[in-house]
Parts: sequence; structure tokens; C-alpha cells
Amino acid sequence: MARLTGRWLPVTFTAPLVILMLLFFVWPLLESIVNSFHGYSLAGIDTSVWTLANYTKLMEPFYLGILWRTIRVSLTTTLLTAALAFPIAWYIAELKGRAQGYWLLLFVTPWLINVAVKAFGWTLILSATGVINTTLRGLGIIDSPLQLMFNETGILIGLVHGHFMFILLPLWAALAGLDRSLIWAAKNLGSGQISVFTRVVLPMVLPALLAGMIINFTMNMAAFATPALLGGSRVRVMSYLAYEINLVDLNWPFGAAMAVLLLVVTMGLVQMSQKVTASGKRKVLFE
Amino acid sequence: MKLFFRLYAYAIAVFMLAPLVLIVWMSFTPDEFFKLPFNEFSLRWYGQIFEHPGFVDAFFLSVRLAVLSSLIATAFSFLAAYSLVRFVFPGRRILDAFFMSPLLIPAVVFGIAMLQFLNRMGLYNSFTSLVLTHVIVVTPFAIRAIDAALRDVPRELEWAAMNLGASRLRAMWLVTLPMSLRGVAAGFIFAFIMSFDEVTVTIFMTGPAHQTLPIRIYNYLSDQVDPTVAAVSALLILMSLALVLVLDRIGGLKTFTK
Repeated sequence: MARLTGRWLPVTFTAPLVILMLLFFVWPLLESIVNSFHGYSLAGIDTSVWTLANYTKLMEPFYLGILWRTIRVSLTTTLLTAALAFPIAWYIAELKGRAQGYWLLLFVTPWLINVAVKAFGWTLILSATGVINTTLRGLGIIDSPLQLMFNETGILIGLVHGHFMFILLPLWAALAGLDRSLIWAAKNLGSGQISVFTRVVLPMVLPALLAGMIINFTMNMAAFATPALLGGSRVRVMSYLAYEINLVDLNWPFGAAMAVLLLVVTMGLVQMSQKVTASGKRKVLFE
Repeated sequence: MKLFFRLYAYAIAVFMLAPLVLIVWMSFTPDEFFKLPFNEFSLRWYGQIFEHPGFVDAFFLSVRLAVLSSLIATAFSFLAAYSLVRFVFPGRRILDAFFMSPLLIPAVVFGIAMLQFLNRMGLYNSFTSLVLTHVIVVTPFAIRAIDAALRDVPRELEWAAMNLGASRLRAMWLVTLPMSLRGVAAGFIFAFIMSFDEVTVTIFMTGPAHQTLPIRIYNYLSDQVDPTVAAVSALLILMSLALVLVLDRIGGLKTFTK
């Protein structure tokens, strides 16, 4: 065998993955962008027609409403998760090495369990005949069951649970790596608990927190099974609507336009928050 | 203050585990619905699984799919990660970002693209295209784990082997691979879990012929809820827990916590 040396080796080694991804990832994505500008026919995609109709249709209030709901639910989930995860991250970071590992494992594990299974678990808790309603009724606190799923509450609970570790882990890493002497110094110089938190701890872990929040947000925007099973057709989000349009209505050009919109909105919001983060960091650091 | 933090942490821990515990509980009761108190034990729903051959077939399909796609992804990722870690070449950073990009694209968007692409190519509903798509979805996880492991292998050992006359390929096969085996195994297990659990992309590209287990569960839940699915889910939770423990043992979870 001819000796593989020098500059051809990286090319040869990365080629299988690059070729596969070009054929089965980049190409299909580009094709769906093209499809979004074609017309719809009963046979599928009418490639003889070029049109913007799919995009103008997306601007109808019905679809914009669903887009807005998706953004709203995703953002609420992210903010709620950040608020819930912060004390936990702090608590874990203060523990001894071994205990830290166990606690982190506890938060990573639910993520590695199937989404449909998790949604089913939440159904057992939230449904009209679920744990919460059965218990509350048994205690005589309520007469009719509370509506905890098939609405935005259900989606919110499922998403906070499912994507918790994406904020917790970076936050924990930042807090665990924090130089404790800075906190002592601040306290020594007369800072109270609150100002130590807002002026020392928070600015230093902010990049990690925001990075986690951005990942969390994109995961929420793209989530499919959780909102489909806990929200259902009464509170559709973008991914669920995209599923219906592509696999029930079979309107692929419109479905493709929806994919493009989802991609552009998600990426756009991520870019925007990264810019805000960057300028915010500068402000915090140089104030 | 300390006590408050601890109580809060326990409360959130309950929130994280509640749905999983409830599923296991439910799977052992004879009733259709949740009832208190829990005093009867039954394996009824586990027996029911075998009345639904759909679940059993779907399980084996999922295993075949996950094993094949994560084997391919691990092999490809090892070669790619080796290049990224060991060589400096133009476009290295771009390539790195490219391999991670499937994490960035929302799964729904990729799913829609695959649905339309595979249909046009006449490859819809084929097992092969399912495997190749899963390779792409799980590759970022495999690369990350393997990349981390390769960084820990001192390159001096490869140089020593090559000095003693081994070709680079031989040094890689006999020195680098064995020394990074834990990371490679972690990459494989990660890839396996990700493929086995994949719902969003898969649901767009599976007709009735290739319903994986998560898709089967999803479809089942969409029109009915009975504890048969609790029994199936409980078994899946058990499998995930086992894999997580293995990952933890071989240090694979550090990919997240580093």
C-alpha cells in the first residue's frame, strides 16, 4: 500500500464524513430551500412553477400566530429554566467532588431518556385522571380536574424538564470554576450578599449562562414530540404544524417554506442574542 | 440559607425524576388509571407487550438501526477527529464546525428536507437511508467524545512508534486507537442512545414499514393511553439507565461536564 503521508491524510480521513454530509445533509437542505419557491400540485411539487406564494401564505395571521406562540413558549421555557437552574447549579458547585458527580448524573439522565417516554410520564401526572388531579380531588380541594395539559402549561412543563441540563451544566461549570477569593475580597470590602451576587458572581458566569440559554432556546424551538404529546392539536407549535402540512396535507412546497422560516427565525434570534450578549459582556466588564 | 438550598435542590430532583418513577410505578399496577393507594402488584402490562407484536418488531428495528448507524458514525468520527486533533491544515476550523452543524439545524427542518429529498430520489422508506440519516444526526456526539479522548493520547507515543518503523496508519491502529478506546466506546454509546431515541427526523422519513420503537410509542400515545406503553417505557428507562451508568463508568459523561 502506498504510504499515505503529509497533506493527503487529513483529506482521506475526513472524506467519508464530508461526502456523506454533503449528499445527505447539505444537498437535501438546499433542495428544500429550492422547493419552497415551487408551486404545489397533487403529485407533490410542481417544479415548472416559480412562486413566492408559499411565503405570502406564511404571513397570514393564523401562521404568524403559531410562530409567535412557538417563540413565546420557547422563550418562557428558557427564562424559567434559567431561574430554576441557578440555585441548583450553585448548590452543586458547593458540594464535594463525588456528590457533585451524582447530582450532575441526576440531571443528565432524564435528557438521555426517550422524549416520547418522558411525555408519557408527564401525561400520567398532568392529565385529567393523572396524579395531580386524582390527589387534589381525593383531598376535596377541587371538584373538576385542572387543565394541566393540552395547553401551553403542559408544553412548558415538558420542555423545562426535557432541556434542563443545557442551562444547568454550563452554569455549574462556570460556578465551580469561579475563584472564591474574589467573593471573599468583595465581602471583605464591605459588599452585602446581594451585591456580591449581582456585581461579582453574575457578571463572571454570565457568558456561560447565556450560552446555555441560547442552546436551550434552540432546542425548545425545534422540539417536536413534547409539544405534540403535551400540547396536541389545540395548541400547535411550528414543528407540529410543519408535520401536519408535510405528512397530512402533503403540501411540500409550503412545508419547505415553513422549514426555511423556522430555520431563519431560530438562527436570527440566536445571532441577535449573541450580539446582545457580546455587547452586554463588554458593558459589564468595562463599566 | 444552606438548608433552603438543599430543600430546593431536593424539590427539583423530585421534579426531574417524577415522570420516570411514575411510569415504572404504573407499569406494575393492574389498573388502567392512576389510583391511590398502590397496593396491588401485577405484571399484566408486561405480558400485554407481546400481544402487540408492533412493539417487539419496532424494538429490534431500533436496535439494528442504532447499532449500524453508531458503528458507522464511530468509525467515521474516529478518522475525522484524528485529523482534526493531529493535523494542522487549511479549513480545519471550518470542517470542525461543519461536522457539528447537525446540532445547529433544528431537527424538524432536517426532517422535512429528508422527506422531500428521499421521495424525489425514490429512497423513501428504505432502511439504508434511515441508517445514513442517523449517522449524520449522531455524528456530533461521537466526534465530541472521541475528540476529547484523542487529545489525552500523547503524540510522542505515536512518534516513537513511527520512529521505530511503523507507518502512520499502523501507529494509529496499534497505539492511538487502543489508548483512546474508552473515549471511542463512550462515543459509540452516545451515538447509540441518540439514534435509539431519535424521534423528530425519523418521524418524517418513516412510512409504516420502518417504525422505530420511539415512533411506535409516539403513534400509540397519540390515540390511546393504556399501561402497556408504561411497561414498554419502563423497559426503555431501564435500558437508558444502564447505558448512562456504563457511560459514567468509562468517563463518557465528562464530554458534557467539561
